[in-house]
Amino acid sequence: MDDEMDKETISDDKQAEAEAALQKKHLSMLERLSKRQQTRSINIEPSTESTSSFLSRFTQLKSSIESRLSESQSISSDPSQLKPHFDKISESISDLEKFVAQSSYFLPSYDVRSSLKTVSDLKRSLENLSSELIPKKKFSFKNKVSKKDSDSVIPESKQPIVPVRDSVQSSESFAARDSPGFRNKFGEVLVGEFSETEVGEFTVSDLDSCEVRIIGCVRALFVHRLKDCRVYVGPVTGSVLIDEVEGCVFAMASHQIRIHRARRSDFYLKVRSRPIVEDCSGMRFAPYCLSYRGIEEDLSCAGLDAETGNWANVDDFRWLRAVQSPNWSILPENERVGTVDISNADSRMEEI
Amino acid sequence: MGLLKIIRKIKRKEKEMRILMVGLDNSGKTTIVLKINGEDTSVISPTLGFNIKTLAYQKYTLNIWDVGGQKTIRSYWRNYFEQTDGLVWVVDSSDLRRLDDCKMELDNLLKEERLSGSSLLILANKQDIKGALSPTEIAKVLNLEAMDKSRHWMIVGCSAYTGEGLLEGFDWLVQDIASRIYMLD
Repeated sequence: MDDEMDKETISDDKQAEAEAALQKKHLSMLERLSKRQQTRSINIEPSTESTSSFLSRFTQLKSSIESRLSESQSISSDPSQLKPHFDKISESISDLEKFVAQSSYFLPSYDVRSSLKTVSDLKRSLENLSSELIPKKKFSFKNKVSKKDSDSVIPESKQPIVPVRDSVQSSESFAARDSPGFRNKFGEVLVGEFSETEVGEFTVSDLDSCEVRIIGCVRALFVHRLKDCRVYVGPVTGSVLIDEVEGCVFAMASHQIRIHRARRSDFYLKVRSRPIVEDCSGMRFAPYCLSYRGIEEDLSCAGLDAETGNWANVDDFRWLRAVQSPNWSILPENERVGTVDISNADSRMEEI
Repeated sequence: MGLLKIIRKIKRKEKEMRILMVGLDNSGKTTIVLKINGEDTSVISPTLGFNIKTLAYQKYTLNIWDVGGQKTIRSYWRNYFEQTDGLVWVVDSSDLRRLDDCKMELDNLLKEERLSGSSLLILANKQDIKGALSPTEIAKVLNLEAMDKSRHWMIVGCSAYTGEGLLEGFDWLVQDIASRIYMLD
């Protein structure tokens, strides 16, 4: 029994010891827990605060960007200021985006999402504004006198100088060589008479609001970048290549005619093969209507005297279907110009 | 008899050459093919798609694929690359403005692995037109010398209108292909 008692006392002692230890453990645990709670609450406290502070800062930045965006309408009168203005706005938008990204780890996901959406909305409205106020360089003409002069014009008008590849430069140098043509004019009547002389390739390019009259035959005709022009040409014994024209009227007779990137233009054609159009819109076709003294002979020399009716057989490479292409139509008869006679010499004529 | 016929057929087949004609629109590909074949060239519409001409040339049969050059259909050129023995690149020598386009399209074409083994004939067409660049000038713009080591090539000035230079060009092409393919002959 003694033994048992001993055992019991021992166990009692032990139990007490153990209990004390447990108590201690429990206390320390409580302490730890409370500490943790504290630290946690410390963490939580500022984070809730920073969510709200983030939101207020974010709103502040956002409204400043928005007000600057709305300012741009008033700045728009001065295009040179517009670009730095937009650049600054775009900088602040990307700063704002960075701010969202930095804060995203503690933000509730809803706030992250909504603020990112705000950022992208801002970006989009900036894009819209800048494309509206700084229109992309549409094709337009400057009244350049010659190729060389245009070089000196470039820095003045602050056009970005596009780096050109060797090949381009070399071909430009060939293009610059004196090939017959009318180039870089505004509001003039340009007349070429080739009744006697033999003309090979002829170029009509970069004209705005001009009238071009070519009397006699040429072998090949290149038309490039015309705006609001009237182009009347006698027979072309080879092919005609037209590229980038807008608001023009053409009267031409040729063996082949290819038209690229033309808009809102009327074509009075006599052509041996089927004319083709590519990337064009708003084009209307009618039969050839040109006349000058001796055109009949020129046409028959060029093998273009017979009417083939091909002026109406237009192939649209962007519309390879059986139904009529929406890009071209036949010019209604009551809207056609009558016969255009270009044999009367005009006092403003320029002989070449 | 039947066997001989088959052998003859194969033999004839062996003498076939597949030639692909490409180049920008308005360069004169169709006119060249028709002119070589002795056909009328006075009415030719811009090619919407492609034409195939089979013609006997010396002791060979040439299958000439003439593929339209309009921008819209250039992306389809690659459908014709397979088993091409000879490539003919046609240049409008009077179209100075688009020479860089021309170079770019040629460079793209020559990157094509399926064409790496084919002989290349460059026809500087429209030499009859006053103001056209000479073959030497075209070669310079297209930087043809750069491929001296990688490919058999030749540039010939020609006029599909008069026919000048066409036979010279095709003679070279056919001989070059023959010397590569039919060396045993």
